[in-house]
Amino acid sequence: MTDQGHSKDTGADTTDFGFQRVKREEKASLVRGVFDSVAARYDLMNDLMSAGVHRLWKRFTIELSAVRPGQTVLDIAGGTGDLAERFSRLVGPQGQVILADINASMLEVGRDRLIDRGALSNIEVVQCDAQYLPFPDNSIDCITIAFGLRNVTDKDLALRSMLRVLRPGGRLLVLEFSKPTNELLGKAYDAYSFKLLPFMGRVVANDAESYRYLAESIRKHPDQETLLGMMEDAGFMDCQYHNMTGGIVAVHRGIKA
Amino acid sequence: MNDSHDPALLAGAFGGLEAAINRALTLAPASAKDLAEMAGTLIAIECTAPALIAFITIEPDGLLHLSGYSEQQPATRVCGTLSNFIALATADDPAATLINSDLEIIGNSAPLIALQQIVTRMDIDWEAPLVEVLGDVAGHQLAQLLRGAFSWGGHAASSLRRQLSEFILEEGQLSPPAAELEHFYSEVHALNLRVERLQSRLQRLSKRITERGAAHKP
Repeated sequence: MTDQGHSKDTGADTTDFGFQRVKREEKASLVRGVFDSVAARYDLMNDLMSAGVHRLWKRFTIELSAVRPGQTVLDIAGGTGDLAERFSRLVGPQGQVILADINASMLEVGRDRLIDRGALSNIEVVQCDAQYLPFPDNSIDCITIAFGLRNVTDKDLALRSMLRVLRPGGRLLVLEFSKPTNELLGKAYDAYSFKLLPFMGRVVANDAESYRYLAESIRKHPDQETLLGMMEDAGFMDCQYHNMTGGIVAVHRGIKA
Repeated sequence: MNDSHDPALLAGAFGGLEAAINRALTLAPASAKDLAEMAGTLIAIECTAPALIAFITIEPDGLLHLSGYSEQQPATRVCGTLSNFIALATADDPAATLINSDLEIIGNSAPLIALQQIVTRMDIDWEAPLVEVLGDVAGHQLAQLLRGAFSWGGHAASSLRRQLSEFILEEGQLSPPAAELEHFYSEVHALNLRVERLQSRLQRLSKRITERGAAHKP
């Protein structure tokens, strides 16, 4: 199972970029273009798009992480560092948080914000690809990837890479948009994503296209059960997920045996 | 237990409550200091009707963290209905309420009683945020006004309680005084004990008569 696409053209050398099919090697640079464009106003747009609810989704993800003082946490696609900041307090001075992102613009915004809040003492900032994590085997206690997995070219490769660096007993938490459980809510959500979201992108960030991609990439992302299967296929144990806000978002958890 | 609720909604509710409690604690430094001595304690509050579980973690800085999910073993787990918890929260004597109510306590009850006592003793300095917003003079004046209003409200409520009690006991004679009731209950209890002793004496005598009758039979 490679990158999940529902398009008819599912050639092995192509992958989804929103509703388009692009060459696999092109996706990373296209995604980079999107996030370079939105980085400066990413947090503001997140608050606007979700009416602040993304903070609650992240709060619950942190609860599920059960992170304790002294542990090492890797926050992949950590972007502007909101999860990393909270983890930094949880692991304390004896622990470590690694804020990782493939996109330099997002990391720059995140690092500046963490410096402004005086939270960098136990946070390391690393630019890396989730598919090829540059960390030793069995070295991380908890990995989180919030709203990042759908942008990864080969999700299975990324999941296997995460499994490799996790310590036995360590856990992966994937917070990602998913499929609404109620049909009516799904229709309202579609209308919101494809009409209102690009409009907000145009007005606030002067970039409708990037926000159209975000909406499209959410639709192409595997649903709850598919992602659960992908995590089990990658080798994670005791996999489960929790739907939030009617399934618009789900957090998946898997443990390394 | 929280599976029936949307985790995001619960996270929002707990987040809001936590922010309000912690704001109050920052205005009551003595309580925050007392709480800091209990740092690391985890208390689980399990409400059976409506079904909901909340975990309260005391942070090293004396602030509280509320969540709907925890994998740690709580020091104290309290189970009961919402009305049981309200009765406990408003009780003058939390220890007695804990023992006499339908609340089920699993683990150590001491942290729960300590927490309730800290909350009861909490003395919030409302003047600080008012001064912050309105300035020294206007903030202090408004705080004085509010303090006066609260104090008058407290006196009025206690006076009303006393007058109502006097009417029920003296004017209307609708209920006997508490001391009289206590005396009556203790008399009934003593009578109960005497009856039990008499019953047991009668049983012993009856047994002895039966045994003697059996011994004199040819």
